[in-house]
Amino acid sequence: MLEEIVISAREALAIGASIYLSAFLFGVLSLLIRKPYPRAAMFTLLIGGFLFQTLGLNLRGAEIKGCPLGNIFEISQFIAWSLVLLYFLIGPAFKLRLLGFFTAGLAGLLAGTALLIPNWDHPYPPGIFGGNPWIELHAALAIFSYAMFAIVALVSAMFLIQQHGLKNKQFKGLYQYLLSVQQLDLMAKRLLITGVVVLSAALIFGAVFWINHPERVPVFKLTVTCLVWAGYLIVVVLRIQKRLATRRHAIASIGLFIFALASLWPVQSARDTIATEAPAVQKTSE
Amino acid sequence: MSEVLQSLFVLGCTHHQAPLEVRERMALTPENAAALRQELHALDDIHECIVVNTCNRVEVYGLSATPTVEATVRDYLCARNGVSRELLDAHSSWHTNLDALQHAFEVSSGLDSQIVGETDILGQMKNAYADARAANCTGIVLNRLFEKSFQAAKAARTQTGITRGQVSIGNVAVDLANRIFGHLRDSRVLLIGSGDVAEKTAQSLKSRGVADITVASRTYENSHTLAHSLGGAAIELSDFAAQLKRFDIVISSTAAPGLILDRDTLAAALKQRPDRPFFLIDVALPRDIDSTVNKLENAYLYNLDDLSNIANENLEQRKAEIDRARTILKSHAWNLWLQLRRRTLMATRLES
Repeated sequence: MLEEIVISAREALAIGASIYLSAFLFGVLSLLIRKPYPRAAMFTLLIGGFLFQTLGLNLRGAEIKGCPLGNIFEISQFIAWSLVLLYFLIGPAFKLRLLGFFTAGLAGLLAGTALLIPNWDHPYPPGIFGGNPWIELHAALAIFSYAMFAIVALVSAMFLIQQHGLKNKQFKGLYQYLLSVQQLDLMAKRLLITGVVVLSAALIFGAVFWINHPERVPVFKLTVTCLVWAGYLIVVVLRIQKRLATRRHAIASIGLFIFALASLWPVQSARDTIATEAPAVQKTSE
Repeated sequence: MSEVLQSLFVLGCTHHQAPLEVRERMALTPENAAALRQELHALDDIHECIVVNTCNRVEVYGLSATPTVEATVRDYLCARNGVSRELLDAHSSWHTNLDALQHAFEVSSGLDSQIVGETDILGQMKNAYADARAANCTGIVLNRLFEKSFQAAKAARTQTGITRGQVSIGNVAVDLANRIFGHLRDSRVLLIGSGDVAEKTAQSLKSRGVADITVASRTYENSHTLAHSLGGAAIELSDFAAQLKRFDIVISSTAAPGLILDRDTLAAALKQRPDRPFFLIDVALPRDIDSTVNKLENAYLYNLDDLSNIANENLEQRKAEIDRARTILKSHAWNLWLQLRRRTLMATRLES
């Protein structure tokens, strides 16, 4: 069925990213004219973008015959896709005003940037996960946890904006549509704990693979991944102990997410080096 | 009488000329306001006198035969509240005759108020007038001026929509509380002092379903009475600092000359509940809460000026109605001015 579709994976992903960016611009324009955007319109645009992105990732998966998480382009697309999926799950349940707007912005930025940098979409040998379902589960869970951390970063940014408005006595525009600081803070805390649980599960599944194939996991990737996980774990522990709350918690969540995103490129490079240095291992695992 | 009419005056220090820091230095206690009125009225130069003293204005209305009375009134006001003449001169206005009439009408109708169109000022004007009249400090001109100003205020309110869309301090406080806490069902309110604005704010919060309201006041009986009317509990004023951590919203409105809540006390309370914000509303003048507490994480402090600015955010939409009200008041002021002039001319002819 996928063979009958006339557009390529990249084109579908490009349309998806364009729709996300359009949704974000629609939100910006609404805020500029000081009117709340219609939620249904934002939701519809995000569904449109999500469908095209799902199609693009499916086409890409069919091309490589596996989960499309083989290079930074695919990882970025997958994070953006998971972020929007999480918005569909969380947004309506918690009635987080403006989360759709911020989600569209971040998803558009991630997906759009990945499309604009050709180097990120370099070819890689098929069967990169060696047909091992545990490592595919590890990758999918890890990316999903990154999407959760992206949502935490967005909620934290919303908290900082609302707090800035309250401290500086500003009320018009963006501020009036945001949730209360206490609700945003509580939301960020719960999502962060869930994200850390998901990332921990991803690491446990990854550890099973690493124990069996230590030569296939670069030390740099392992170190950075553990650093990201430890960073988030420390934040969660400090938060539960109430030693890191509200503003500092929000700043830490945003900072850690930027670090996690920035670490993807060197981690991917290290993995590519291993892949090119040890082609025989890949063939064996295939 | 023609000389007298030429010297109808009002000296005012209001939110238009003076920021909060200056207004709190200018503020008079009710006793001082009455004493100032008596002092001025006792002067040979001043025939009639009314002092209007609210949290946003100190105004002296008077009638004098002496054109140089301005300096005298200013000196007496400075002596009474202990501020320098330079400070008063920099933050005050002086109106005479028709301007004074127009000003009194705008004050009574709420057009000159910090929250444009509010109705509390009319009651405060009536009280100031009643006090002065009871103390025999008013005469034919100020009686007529104030009574006509009340009528003009009523006309402006009924013939225009100046009160429509007007937001009260209580509503602003509720909106802010929603932006801080989301819903208010778990929020606990502490009311320090028993000022009118604070009581109304507490009532607004109560109507939105806050968990409970506690009142702390200098006199326990006052606390108890107010707490009873709000369906809450009363505590001793000396206990409030120790119990501060239990509350989420603090409304302070005491007549204390200094700070009631300092930064260290609040910081200690915040330490015991680091993930819960404090919403502090200071509607006292002089202020009760140290303004630097707003720098503490999780503390959100709003004073009278902040709340009024928010309440006036929709002023632009109400501008047409405000202009209409001003036109009505101008016509009332002009009519009164002509009446007073006519009486003066008749009196002069009769005298000659």
